[in-house]
Amino acid sequence: MDSNVPALEVAGLEKTFFSRKKAPVHAVRGISFTVSQREVVGLLGPNGAGKTTTIKCILGLMNPTAGEVRVMGYDLKTEYRKLVRSTCAVLEGSRNIYWRMTPRENLDFFTGLYGIPLEKSRPYSEHLLRVFRLEEKRHALVQELSSGMKQKVAVACALASRSPLVFLDEPTLGLDVETSYELRETLKQLAKDEGRAIVVSSHDMDVIQDVCSRVIIIKQGSIIVDDQLENLLQLFRTRAYRFTLSNGHAVDLEQAVVAHFPGTTVSRAADRTVLEVILPRAGDLYRFVDLVRESGLFIAGINQKEPDLEEAFLQLVRKGA
Amino acid sequence: MREKITVFRAVFVRNLIMMRRYMANTLSGIITIYIVFMLLFLGVQAMTGGAFAIGATTLEGLVVGYLVWTFAMVGYQDLAWGITNEAQMGTLEKLYLTPIGFRWVNGFSQISGLLVNFAIVGVLLALIMLTTGVSLRVDIVSVVPLLLVTVSAAYGLGFAMGGLALIHKRIQSAFQIVQFVLVAFIAAPASPWSRLLPLNLGSRLLTSVMVHGVRLWELPPWDVMISLVVGVAYLWLGLVIMAYHERKARDRGLLGHY
Repeated sequence: MDSNVPALEVAGLEKTFFSRKKAPVHAVRGISFTVSQREVVGLLGPNGAGKTTTIKCILGLMNPTAGEVRVMGYDLKTEYRKLVRSTCAVLEGSRNIYWRMTPRENLDFFTGLYGIPLEKSRPYSEHLLRVFRLEEKRHALVQELSSGMKQKVAVACALASRSPLVFLDEPTLGLDVETSYELRETLKQLAKDEGRAIVVSSHDMDVIQDVCSRVIIIKQGSIIVDDQLENLLQLFRTRAYRFTLSNGHAVDLEQAVVAHFPGTTVSRAADRTVLEVILPRAGDLYRFVDLVRESGLFIAGINQKEPDLEEAFLQLVRKGA
Repeated sequence: MREKITVFRAVFVRNLIMMRRYMANTLSGIITIYIVFMLLFLGVQAMTGGAFAIGATTLEGLVVGYLVWTFAMVGYQDLAWGITNEAQMGTLEKLYLTPIGFRWVNGFSQISGLLVNFAIVGVLLALIMLTTGVSLRVDIVSVVPLLLVTVSAAYGLGFAMGGLALIHKRIQSAFQIVQFVLVAFIAAPASPWSRLLPLNLGSRLLTSVMVHGVRLWELPPWDVMISLVVGVAYLWLGLVIMAYHERKARDRGLLGHY
């Protein structure tokens, strides 16, 4: 396969759900993007934004209303079997595997479905079991494993076919902080070591921030942002501040700041109020200072806050950037 | 071809593993089928005072009809419930995402199910013959093709119901009703029209083979032909209904839902 061919090309993808009784629902509206080989892209969006629908349309599990999809150069409409061979996916987390089978049996089955004989699939399956720290559980029934382990088995089963494009839809959904961290670290390492193109759709900003180099934000079926993660964070880096105000609390001020600057968080400690606020425009800082002055409180400290993806995401989605 | 063999192996092994993991379920299913037959047998025996005959149906005919029903029902269940269960477990979409396609995977699953069903029906037949004293001729060369042709109509129904389940989801009650409709199909009295029902003519041809020792090539060719056409027609119709609902499910995004 030509190394210059993009792993994924999506052009003008649309999906509308028609119903006799209700108005049509435009779940995906003309989405276009490209994912290069070895690129790790995060798909972000609020609930119902159209992330899963986009992925399912790309995979042919839903018929798109319009648009073109190519995976490793293979067309969704005319070369579906080849397209499927080039992809793998974890779609519903641990529900994607057989709980009455062991991790090893699941791996054998799902690689078998790709036509990979056991003698060829087993060494890599064993490698995945090691990477995901499932070696000791390889002969335990999946239903007896913890949620985190089940999730890891599902991801391992998807990766086992060694397809060049991997879709992970909510890979850390329902996991506790520690397991989520562990899975993120493993995914990060795998992305680095194996050089596959990965599309991660998640509500968990930490997953996207840790694993992905590029972020696509979808809102109401359309892409509102498609940029490198670093650029996105940089955009917000100079605008996020933490103000510590002394001389008590002022509810009016807090309400006014929240109203003027959406996404502001307020916390109180003793006679101090801490406001974490993003001031996007140049004049916003002066407006903010005016509000504080009117409230009778004093600014005891200002820190420039290191922005994270969650903050950037909330700002972008709320504004519809 | 090699790829298909690998996929078949994977599906066959999965089915065996699942059968082993649900061993209690598998065994209780076989025992229930056996007990139901024995109740039927003892009930009819009590009613007829030992001279076993209901109309034109002899005890041997009842055994053959019951075995055909069992075989058809298990195949039908495997298909209709299989699709529902995969959707419920969340693995259905993964099966659709296989390079050779869901139809092959499902087809291989049915073939491996058929092999297992042959074994189950064989055990049941042996048990029934032992406990009732009925003697049947199991001429493999005649029985196996006829049985396959006969139950292919039940597989057609299974595909149709599986297709409906992709869209309408919770229709297990309808699944159960169809299981009993299969009995009516087998038991319907012989007439030119009843021959067009699923399982009906095939079941009677199997009775001729297993009870009267007629070989496949000694059967009326026209009957064999009709039986074949009926089986293939219902199977084809089932596949068409399945494909239609599959397309609808893809349009509405219902493949993975339950």
